[in-house]
Amino acid sequence: MIPQLVTYRQRRRDGRWLRLYVPVLPVLLVLSPLLLLIVLAGLVACLVFRVSPVDALRGTGQLLCALPGTRFEIEHGRTSVLVSVR
Amino acid sequence: MNEQRRQVLEMLAEGKITADEAERLIDALDRGQPESPPGSAPRPKPRPKYLRVVVNSEDDSGGDGPARVNVRVPLQLLRAGVRLTSLIPPQALAKVNDELTRSGVPIDLTQLKPQHIEELIEQLDDLTVDVDQPDTKVQVFCE
Repeated sequence: MIPQLVTYRQRRRDGRWLRLYVPVLPVLLVLSPLLLLIVLAGLVACLVFRVSPVDALRGTGQLLCALPGTRFEIEHGRTSVLVSVR
Repeated sequence: MNEQRRQVLEMLAEGKITADEAERLIDALDRGQPESPPGSAPRPKPRPKYLRVVVNSEDDSGGDGPARVNVRVPLQLLRAGVRLTSLIPPQALAKVNDELTRSGVPIDLTQLKPQHIEELIEQLDDLTVDVDQPDTKVQVFCE
């Protein structure tokens, strides 16, 4: 299952929270033309560097599917940043 | 601590729920996970799913207050990353080897096979690293 929601939270020095909830699938759909170009560029790069495009696609897919559950939380004094992938 | 219990505590820390609500939720979670009856075979230990790195530093030398780092990475992500490394072209590995040798780290990356790294990750299950200093505590473990 690919990630569905990426949460970004940041507490600024003044104590206010910035919260961003990024729904991955809709964003991917919106960026799909750009994504297509990136995939094409990746395929060309695979051919240039003699890497199997199928293996590269499979590896990238596995990496994406393994992302849910990742969480980075850093707090330093009054500043705090949280990135969570669900 | 399981995931649901941690979420309840997080909601409490963020002020989304009161202490009473958190207590009720945790009680409900405890009731939902009955202990195995006596005499039955012990359950196999569940396989860890995440690699956790927790750093707590009370060092206030910068004047910004204490620092805390909490990183949770799925072990599956490490495995997927390791599989991707098998796609690195040999000529790139040769260049990296040259640079490593030049920097005084004579490691031959071409000898590092994906299955070896996978075995390494498999054994991460039992890994626990604790570093205690007077004002800093670092923990690396799997859960």
